[in-house]
Parts: sequence; structure tokens; C-alpha cells
Amino acid sequence: MHLHKETARIQEQFGTYCRTGVETGLPGVTPGRIHHYRRLVNKVVRDALDSAFPISHAAFGEEAWDLLVQDFFVHGEPKSPQLWRLPFEFYRYHANRKTGKQILKPYLDDLLYFEWMEIEVYNMPDRTFPVYDARGDLLGDRLALNPELEIIRLEYPVHMHPAAETPGMKGEFFVLIYRSPETGYVHFMDLPAINIFILSSLLEEDIPVNEIKGEIARTTGIESGRYLDDVLKKFIGDLMEKRVILGFKKE
Amino acid sequence: MSAGLLLKRTMNGKVGIGLRRDISEEILNSKLLTPDFLEFAPENWMGVGGNWNRTREKAVSMYPITCHGLSLSLGSPEELDWDFIKELKVFLDENQAKIFSEHLSYTKSQNAHLYDLLPIPFRKDAVDHVVDRIRQVQDFLERPLAIENVSYYTPVAAEMTEAEFVCEIVDRADCQLLLDVNNVYVNAFNHGYDAREYISQLPLDRVAYIHMAGHEQVAPDLIIDTHGQPIIDPVYDLFEWTIGKMNPVPVLLERDYNFEDLDQLQAELLHLKNIIKKNWRVEHASA
Repeated sequence: MHLHKETARIQEQFGTYCRTGVETGLPGVTPGRIHHYRRLVNKVVRDALDSAFPISHAAFGEEAWDLLVQDFFVHGEPKSPQLWRLPFEFYRYHANRKTGKQILKPYLDDLLYFEWMEIEVYNMPDRTFPVYDARGDLLGDRLALNPELEIIRLEYPVHMHPAAETPGMKGEFFVLIYRSPETGYVHFMDLPAINIFILSSLLEEDIPVNEIKGEIARTTGIESGRYLDDVLKKFIGDLMEKRVILGFKKE
Repeated sequence: MSAGLLLKRTMNGKVGIGLRRDISEEILNSKLLTPDFLEFAPENWMGVGGNWNRTREKAVSMYPITCHGLSLSLGSPEELDWDFIKELKVFLDENQAKIFSEHLSYTKSQNAHLYDLLPIPFRKDAVDHVVDRIRQVQDFLERPLAIENVSYYTPVAAEMTEAEFVCEIVDRADCQLLLDVNNVYVNAFNHGYDAREYISQLPLDRVAYIHMAGHEQVAPDLIIDTHGQPIIDPVYDLFEWTIGKMNPVPVLLERDYNFEDLDQLQAELLHLKNIIKKNWRVEHASA
């Protein structure tokens, strides 16, 4: 490297000042000017996080939110050159530091993750869509799923209730997040564990629902028969209406 | 002459605008704004699918594209981010970028991105460092890099003048120059030098691209380069004086926010085109 240690140190000092506000006698600077850099860097980070996490921001209030942002700003080390990915780094920083437990807001990780996933799914690279027919047998044919979806697991139902109300509701919650093929908008669905099982099986095994009916019956305790068929048809039909399932795979 | 070179030549003297998400609808689906070309900040579009990807694809199908990077961090003490540069190369190729430019600054310090342009100390060893990195990037991307003179609010541990710093880097890295006329105005005001004298020292034959923008005066002795306000007349004057001394290149209107008044933004595009028409021999289909 051509850069002398002294120049590198000065540059690092400058960067550190921008993050911490602690001046360490930078040489050759115009008095009263460098604080503008800290202000501008801070504003970029703050604006990016405020717009990515409107629910978290509102849930924590200005003062607590500011502490979370400042902590990340000073100690976090964002690796992504892409500003739009900064919110994920913010989530990961606080998840790794277990900040939620420390500040007695155990739902912090889930709330940040939930909000980040909306951005993630909205922006996710386009995935290849299957070729499908609009008509077929709901239980007997292989189903064509919208490939632009993610399933996340939460401990607190922050997707259904105000975050502050969720500490007493700790459990296991699954949320289906998907991008509409028509509008590109992101939609969320709370899914009971059994529905997640069905959906995951369809995603992973590419088989008709009839072939996993036995396991569904065992897991749910619902006797395999007409009632179970009706329940499954309703579930599949609902997912088709919402464009999570697009249609029936062509042979 | 190759088709690529022809297209590049035909962009000279044309006026473009940065494709910001807030005004993409107006640019692509209406005639409220009539740029000749569009500029992407690659970092805002790389690896993105869905609606924004469709927007980008539509933009590419409708306009010639230039790309202006934000995060290469050419002046940083850290290693170059080669994973990012590899993705960048794919992006530039996919979008048939006619020009790729970056800032003569650093954005990464101690393993953390700061997402803003920090001033490199104007020092000999920093010149060596940046020259080496520009050469590496140009070699890998297999295209020239146009480096932008950035606005700065304080020098840091300088051992040479800004003009000496910029000129030596452009010369030794054998790269192009993106001349940001507003930045020259801002720096001249903030640091008390003569903007025209500064521009006269630059290798104007290496200028491949010009940026124009608005700024905000925040103190009697300080202007911040905001890209949020209309261009002021003294910057237009400096632009006209500058282009009278050089051959035609593409000119970009930079605006990052405050998009409420699109008529005023369109008026800025037209004003730039009119100044160009008076000084350069180019044709404007949309002027």
C-alpha cells in the first residue's frame, strides 16, 4: 500500500470522528467545519433507518429509537456498499448484541426483522416463474407456487399486535411474505404451523397435496376423508386467490 | 466507427438527469421531464428485482445510460471491495453504461461504510494510493473511470492544493475527469479561491462528463452541496464559461430530493440545453 501510516491514521481519525463525535486533534482542518461531516453522515444513516422502520420507530418513541440508532452508528460496522441494505445491518447488529433483552423489549429483533423483510421481499431479485395452467385438481395436481415468497418465524406476534402488547404472547408464529406477480407489492399472511407444513412440503417436494394428506392427517389429528379434503381445498383456494399459488403445473 | 463509440459521441452536449425513484414515474411515463439520457447510481439498483427492476429495464430501453458510483471508496485506506466491483462490472455491462464515474473521496473507514463523501488528505502518498486503485479498477472493469472533483468543507492535513491533487491523479492514473461545476463553485466559496482560476488549472481535455446541481448556504462562509435546490445563476455562469473552453461532453442535472416542482426541474434542463446550444455545436431533439 502506498498510503503512509500517518495519512491512513488521519483518515481513520476523521471517520471515527464522524461516527463518535469525539475530536482527536485532526491536523490541518478548518475550525468549526468538521462537525458538518458528522451531521451529514448521521443524517444519511438516520433517514435510511427511519424510513425502513416506521413501525419500530413509532413503537419505541423518539428517545429510545435515537439511542438504538446512535448505538449502531457508533459501534456498528455496516459492510454493505448499498445504502438500501443498511436496515438489515441495523437489525443484525441489534440481534447479535441482544439489545432487545438488555432494554427489556424482547420483541425488538422480531419487529426489526419483520419490517426489514418487507424491504427484502419487495427488492428481491426476480425469480423464475413456473409454467402453469389456470385449471386443475386442487388436491390431485402439482401446484405452481409463486416463487417470490419467504416464510419467517417470529417469537412475538408483532405482525398482528402492537409490539408493546406482545411480550406476554411469546410462542412460535409463522408469517408468509410474498410479492404479488401483478403489482410487485408485498403482502403478509399469518399462517398456523400446519399450513406452514403444507406450504413447505409443496415448496420442497413438488408433489400433489394428496401425497402428503396422510401426514397432514397424523399431524393435525383430523381424520383423512371428506372433511380434511374440504379444509385443504379451502386453504389452497385461498392461497390461489391471494396469488401465493398461481395455478397447476403443466406436465 | 463502432456503434458504441457512435452512441457515446452522440451523447456529447446532451443533458441528462439522475434517475431517482421519486421521479422515475414522471421521467418514464410522462413528458414532464425531457432529459436526453439518464444516470443510475449503481448501488441503488444492483441486485434489485420487482418493480424497481422493471423501472430500471424500462429506463434502459428508453434512454442512453451513464452510471455514477457512490461506494467504491477510492481514497479509503481499506482494501478495495472486489466482490462489489465484480457485481458492478456486470451491472455496467447489463445497462450498457456509456460512462462510469466515481467520487475522488472515501466512504469507508475502519471497516464501516459511512455512506457519505469524506475528503482525502491532499498528500503525495494519497495520490500514489488513489492512482494505484483507479488503475486497478479501470483494468478490471475494462473501461475508463471518470473521477469527480468532490465538494469538501475542510481540507485535512493537506500538503498540496486541491488542483494539484486532482491534476496529478488524473494524469498518472490515465483516467477521465467528471467536472462537477457546482462543486468547484462550492469549494471556491468555502475555501476562498477563484473558481475560474481553479478550472483553468484542470486538464479540460480529460473531462468526459459534467455535473451541475444546486446547493445550500448554511453559514455566511459555508455552502453545503445538497443537490436539493435549483442551480443558481453564478453556477450557470461558471458552467457557460467552462464549456466555452472545452469540447462537448454529456452534462447531468443532479437532484436528489425536493421534487415537488417538476416544472422548475424541467426549466433547469432547458436552461442547460440553451447554454449548450449557444456554446457547442450539438443537436437537441427534445429541447
